Amino acid sequence: MSANGWLPLLVILSSLLPGLLIFGLAEERVRTRTVLNLTGAVVKLVLVGWMLWGVYNGHHYEMRLPLLPGLELVLRAGPLALLFVSLSAVLWLVTTVYAIGYLEGSPHRSRFFGFFSLCVTATVGVALAGNLITFLVFYELLTLTTYPLVVHRGTEVARRAGQSYLIYTIFGGSLLLLGTVWLYVLTGTLEFTPRGFLDTVATEHHSALVVIFALLVAGFGVKAALIPLHGWLPQAMVAPAPVSALLHAVAVVKAGAFGIVRLVYEVFGVEFAAILGVTGPLAWLAAATIIYGSLRALFQDNLKRRLAYSTVSQVSYITLGVAIAGPVAAIGGVVHLVHQGLMKITLFFCAGNLAETLGIHKISEMDGVGRRMPWTMVAFTIGAFGMIGAPPVAGFVSKWYLGLGALEVGQGWVVIVLAGSSLLNAAYFLPILYRAWFREPPHVWPQERDFGGKETAWALLLPSLATAAMALAAGLMAAGSYSPLEWAKLIAEQEFYLK
Amino acid sequence: MNAVIPPLLLGVVVAWPLLLAFPALYARVPWPRQLATVPALLLAVLPGEASLELSWLLFGTGFAIDGQSRWILATAVAVWLMAAVTAQPANEGNAGRCTTPFFMLTLGGNLGAILATDLVGFFSFATVMGYGFYGLLIQGSDEAARRSGRCYLLFLIVADLLLFEALLLAAFTAEDLRYETVGEAMVGASSMSLYLWLVLIGFMLKAGVWPLHWWLTAAFCTSPRTTALLLGGVPVAMGLLGLLRWLPLGEYAAGGSVMLIQVMGAGAVLYAVFARGSVKTLPARVAVSVTGLFVVALGSGLAYPAVWRQYEFIGYPFIASLGILLAGLGFTTGRMKGARYMSTFASRRLGALQPEVGRWIEIVYQWAGDRFSGLHSLWRVSWLKAVKWRIPDWRNLRTLVEGWSATITLFVLLGLALAWLAG
Repeated sequence: MSANGWLPLLVILSSLLPGLLIFGLAEERVRTRTVLNLTGAVVKLVLVGWMLWGVYNGHHYEMRLPLLPGLELVLRAGPLALLFVSLSAVLWLVTTVYAIGYLEGSPHRSRFFGFFSLCVTATVGVALAGNLITFLVFYELLTLTTYPLVVHRGTEVARRAGQSYLIYTIFGGSLLLLGTVWLYVLTGTLEFTPRGFLDTVATEHHSALVVIFALLVAGFGVKAALIPLHGWLPQAMVAPAPVSALLHAVAVVKAGAFGIVRLVYEVFGVEFAAILGVTGPLAWLAAATIIYGSLRALFQDNLKRRLAYSTVSQVSYITLGVAIAGPVAAIGGVVHLVHQGLMKITLFFCAGNLAETLGIHKISEMDGVGRRMPWTMVAFTIGAFGMIGAPPVAGFVSKWYLGLGALEVGQGWVVIVLAGSSLLNAAYFLPILYRAWFREPPHVWPQERDFGGKETAWALLLPSLATAAMALAAGLMAAGSYSPLEWAKLIAEQEFYLK
Repeated sequence: MNAVIPPLLLGVVVAWPLLLAFPALYARVPWPRQLATVPALLLAVLPGEASLELSWLLFGTGFAIDGQSRWILATAVAVWLMAAVTAQPANEGNAGRCTTPFFMLTLGGNLGAILATDLVGFFSFATVMGYGFYGLLIQGSDEAARRSGRCYLLFLIVADLLLFEALLLAAFTAEDLRYETVGEAMVGASSMSLYLWLVLIGFMLKAGVWPLHWWLTAAFCTSPRTTALLLGGVPVAMGLLGLLRWLPLGEYAAGGSVMLIQVMGAGAVLYAVFARGSVKTLPARVAVSVTGLFVVALGSGLAYPAVWRQYEFIGYPFIASLGILLAGLGFTTGRMKGARYMSTFASRRLGALQPEVGRWIEIVYQWAGDRFSGLHSLWRVSWLKAVKWRIPDWRNLRTLVEGWSATITLFVLLGLALAWLAG
């Protein structure tokens, strides 16, 4: 096997090995744990950068390991995989720095960081999976590694949230397994192929394929928080802020959405899926989720809960972009995978900053917080405007391509949904900003901690600012050579339609 | 292309105020608000044209200055400098310092929209400007200011949504989104009618054109002097500029639907003339009437493209003079209002001032009264009375005209200026 073949495996090992080592560390070995965490994150970033450069220049990275008779564990780095891997690698580094600051002095840090690294390992595995069985293996591994993170606080509420998370995701995993097995029996292959591999299946199996599609969408839809399978997500916001950030921006919901992208484009093929008539209902389901999530968010006073419902809504943009079944909408959906991640992680980091620094958990407690924590709220403001879809933040670019893609394929109703969603986003984000920037602060904050005259700890503030800057840059420099948008265009060209 | 203006200056004009929005930077700069306008001032006074292509910015945009945009830029700089001088943080204490980021964002957005060469650039900078301006509007933080801010914000969001839809239609139809390309592409497009109305309503909401003017009246009444001064030159002028830039004027004949546009414009003028209000709402009513005139002209341009092509050069100076006019009015009434509200004393003072300004109106009125003595009886029996419209009688009309003498004077002056420009 060439060096190129080893690279995908090395990317996975770069977080797996530090994770396993961290489990064995004593709680007080803070420095060693930090070094292991950061080294793993930086090494992963370098390796991903290497692969990005290679794929951009036409190199091929693939590794195959025997799994079961007739089935292989395939790791492959194509443009779509690398988009997700890059997002995970960048945000893992940032979240690790944040988590180090956030959990300073708290118990069970080795356990936390161990599972944290395993969670990223599973996410990267999901991204690099070259066939459906590899995807399934890492997808289930993701469920198992995130559960301890959700229940990390050990409170009754956390345990209940964890239980709910486990029930939902295991149910989803079962449907996914059923669909995968059925598909394998029917076709004899599970290999992800640009434009899918099912268009040669005999017509008499088409109704079976529709059921398989429904099973697989339900399996992915649990993690992607499609209604009515979204119930676990708002409950899981009891987890520590870095975990929420990871769940909402990088790992779990993204894995679900990414699964739907793979399913539509590289299992069924978007044209064949349209012939089967499954993309239309998927688009309607995504649209309903977008509006439902926004409506629910509108009535939440708990900040993280509002953000969680916002995720329910925003992640469905990805599904909508895929289901619209056109190349321009595909660009919008795929690029939103990155954009939503950058914006949502910023918002969760900021929510964590407010909770850790001032004890603020509710929106009604946020009066005047912009004066006390201006930089945190600047980051939050950028994230919020991005979610609304206001230019020049990244969310505008996603909505632009989704809207344009919808018009391209004659689905004007999607534009109305996008406008409605923007309006609802404005309705639940702008009041927060108004409170923070224009209301008088209270005399006493709920639970203020002193950070030596600073706004908050650097380890909490810098990641928020970094991700906010990335969200702004992704929108402002959308047409730049190395922007997520340009990469999404490359995916549309190479994998779907245009080449 | 004249080499006197370095293209880089175009970028600096927009980037400099946006950079100064950061407290860490503006706090270290003396007179940050005045300094923020310096590159724009330089650009406005340097002769020649220039353009800057920024293929990496947004979806690929650029900035340019030509003879037309120079009018708007020069006005904007003048208005912003006035605002910078009147809103010295030293004069306003800590509250003034807090508004500096909003001031800078609004300024940067305003300049960016003026210089943008395409629809996305205009839309993006106008959005930044709009949200920044909201911060300036509600700086008083009392209930009235909050209400007016909410109203403005609602209009802004709805306008942005409509314009976003219009942008999508334009992008779907045109090869790129430069003004001239969009204009050419949209003329023959089946979606032109929808595009026209989306753009019209979107920018009419932003400019506060009657009957979508509520936010403007409220804003003039509740905003502090600096913000009142900016109202005409920033959101109103940018709304009108958007109409000029986004619509294929002089190329597209809109047919019967333009009648509605003209009726709206005429309605705005009538509303402004007949609406009751105090001195506090005077600039708002002037804004409503002048934007109404603009809409009438726009409707005529859409009905008769050839006529528009003949007189289109008036458009930019018109918007520029509107900005200055409303800034002057906002400043004057703002001064009379004192720090925030019109005092009885100031109200009386303005009341005493008006007959002086409008003495010429009195003379014209007397002359007309002598010549057309039967006119008032004709007025009374008019068919309008039959449908129970509230027609002011002759005496009330006289009071009304006298009460509006300052406005009418300004109108006439504006008309003369435009006639001079047209000549």
